[in-house]
Amino acid sequence: MTGILIVAEVDAGELRPEFWELATVAKALSAAGSGGISIAVIGANVAEPARQAAAIGVEALHMMEDDRLTDPWPEAYAAALIQLCSELAPRMVIVPCTILGTEMAARLAVHCRWQLVQDVTQIEATADGGLKGLRPVSGGAVVATVRAGAGPWVVVPRPRAFASAEAATTPQIVEPVRHAFEPPPLATACEAPKRVAIEGISVDRAKTVIAGGGGLGGPEPFALLREIADLVGGAVGASRVAVDSGWVQQALQVGLTGKTIAPDLYIAVGISGAIQHLVGCSSSQVIVAVNSDASAPIFGIANYGVVGDWKEVMPAFRDKLAERVV
Amino acid sequence: MRIIVCLKQVIDPLTPASALALDQAEKKIRVNLSAPPVINGFDEQGLEAALRLREANKDIEIVCLAAGGHFNTDVMKRSLAVGADQLILVQDPSLDTWDPYPIASALAAAIRQIGGADLVICGRQGSDWDNALTPFILADLLALPLLTLAKRVGISDGKRVEIERVLADGTMVMKADMPALVTVTSELGALRMPNVAARLAAARKRPRQIALTELTDFATAAHAPEVVDLAIPVNGRSCTFIEAADGPSLGSCLAETLLQAGVIRLGGERQP
Ligand SMILES: Cc1cc2nc3c(=O)[nH]c(=O)nc-3n(C[C@H](O)[C@H](O)[C@H](O)COP(=O)(O)OP(=O)(O)OC[C@H]3O[C@@H](n4cnc5c(N)ncnc54)[C@H](O)[C@@H]3O)c2cc1C
Ligand SMILES: Nc1ncnc2c1ncn2[C@@H]1O[C@H](COP(=O)(O)O)[C@@H](O)[C@H]1O
Repeated sequence: MTGILIVAEVDAGELRPEFWELATVAKALSAAGSGGISIAVIGANVAEPARQAAAIGVEALHMMEDDRLTDPWPEAYAAALIQLCSELAPRMVIVPCTILGTEMAARLAVHCRWQLVQDVTQIEATADGGLKGLRPVSGGAVVATVRAGAGPWVVVPRPRAFASAEAATTPQIVEPVRHAFEPPPLATACEAPKRVAIEGISVDRAKTVIAGGGGLGGPEPFALLREIADLVGGAVGASRVAVDSGWVQQALQVGLTGKTIAPDLYIAVGISGAIQHLVGCSSSQVIVAVNSDASAPIFGIANYGVVGDWKEVMPAFRDKLAERVV
Repeated sequence: MRIIVCLKQVIDPLTPASALALDQAEKKIRVNLSAPPVINGFDEQGLEAALRLREANKDIEIVCLAAGGHFNTDVMKRSLAVGADQLILVQDPSLDTWDPYPIASALAAAIRQIGGADLVICGRQGSDWDNALTPFILADLLALPLLTLAKRVGISDGKRVEIERVLADGTMVMKADMPALVTVTSELGALRMPNVAARLAAARKRPRQIALTELTDFATAAHAPEVVDLAIPVNGRSCTFIEAADGPSLGSCLAETLLQAGVIRLGGERQP
């Protein structure tokens, strides 16, 4: 029997960085008696990322490779995970909080009627054999303590809520156990994704993020944010209003249904600070807000604030920084 | 052809935290004000998707379906004002819950009782508990193919649904035979405004009320983890406002302050 099974997601050939946070959760819960840790890697051509993931030190590395798993096809990936779970009978499955991961978690939990403990920022085993965790609800306006009874459990940790685990310095080599993908008939079909290349650094990896919102009024001002981002070696982000208006691509969205980030510095320009936005950036070390409305909620979470029109403030901000870069 | 759009009545998600009241006995989130609830934003977008489909095919009947403990009928009737043919409200105190299992079970039983649907449309998640789970349970209970996160929904040959699914870095086309269940995301676009004639016509229409006990095959399949406590998170930050004579001086002053505080390090270490 398998104790904890971590789903290591591979996206475009790369191990998703959330994996290291899931490893931290798995290690903490395994110490509390939930059993040894194994890894599941599903996809096509995943041997190399699987090897990287196994470096945290695991009992077993399960690999399911198949051409039908080339694209991020939710039903197929969920079928693969459900099949692995029926073969391995884990007590707990830990899945990353990504678009594909959350869907695999939901489909697995509903199909098996397992307890889905999702979006948790803290989680612990309870004395009576259950799990207890904290999760934001209502867009982050409220924190709920949730309790799940007897497992098996499907746990989805919130991004950036747990530290990243380190790879063992001398990892022992585990031979992957290969599983053939034998899905039931699948009711959906998909075409290859159309991916939009991200300009510059991705928001979830940058140490500085400068984000624009509805207050920018259109796509053009984002060029100014890009200039500033380039000066400080950071990334451009956006609120949902900017994404839904088609000003910038979805990959830039920060918040509840976008990315959860924790950069050293987050600069919000023309962003009101709705709770659903803040839940994605409130773990940033320093937050700076530029907004023409002194009563905008963004100031309630900012370390530095400027009440003003970005059209006047931001060009001078850029020029001052440019002056110092020589 | 019938499209059922699932609408959830929720507290306005823009309610400031200071106006939220936590009911610790019932483990519910309520509002302090007399502010009216709203239709969950993503569900409005689901209704917009249905209305767009009907523009292409006049034979489509749009039925809106909501389950809950108590309804503000005026708010829910906005769906009729923008053009839904029917509004069905399944009401029972037990349906005022964070647990998506009884809700999905009630929705499934209601859908079966009214004779099914060719397409069921849900929002990607409720802004109350952010569960994003009801559509998965509903698709499972009704044994429907599930396509999620649509920014565009189309029907071809009257029997196949095709969506454009939003990914973190692009989109992907997905298809399934109908009957099927689709969830939509905000990129789809906002719900249209009702025109005056439609609003007046809707004022005369009545929602159809169904009590949970009238649903013949209602049974709750399982339960979600229990909510045992609720709290409003505290934010320990306090804001230092930059003061200066005009906008440009505010901008350069902000840059100076951040450089001096070491928050911005120019030419320092760069991310790969
Ligand atoms: C379930 C759910 C999920 C959501 N997920 C997300 C999410 O992931 N990310 C997200 O961002 N939002 C999300 N939202 C939406 C969120 O509630 C807000 O609607 C959104 O964040 C508002 O974006 P905004 O502040 O950029 O725009 P607006 O609300 O339009 O605010 C614009 C701001 O710019 C200021 N401004 C205007 N002109 C100027 C100027 N010249 N100079 C300076 N400032 C100016 C205004 O004072 C205002 O504060 C979600 C909502 C729900 C219900
Ligand atoms: N009580 C309800 N009545 C009607 N539809 C609902 C209800 N609860 C959830 N839904 C649908 O399921 C979607 C996801 O909701 P949730 O699982 O609560 O996050 C919503 O966007 C609605 O379309």
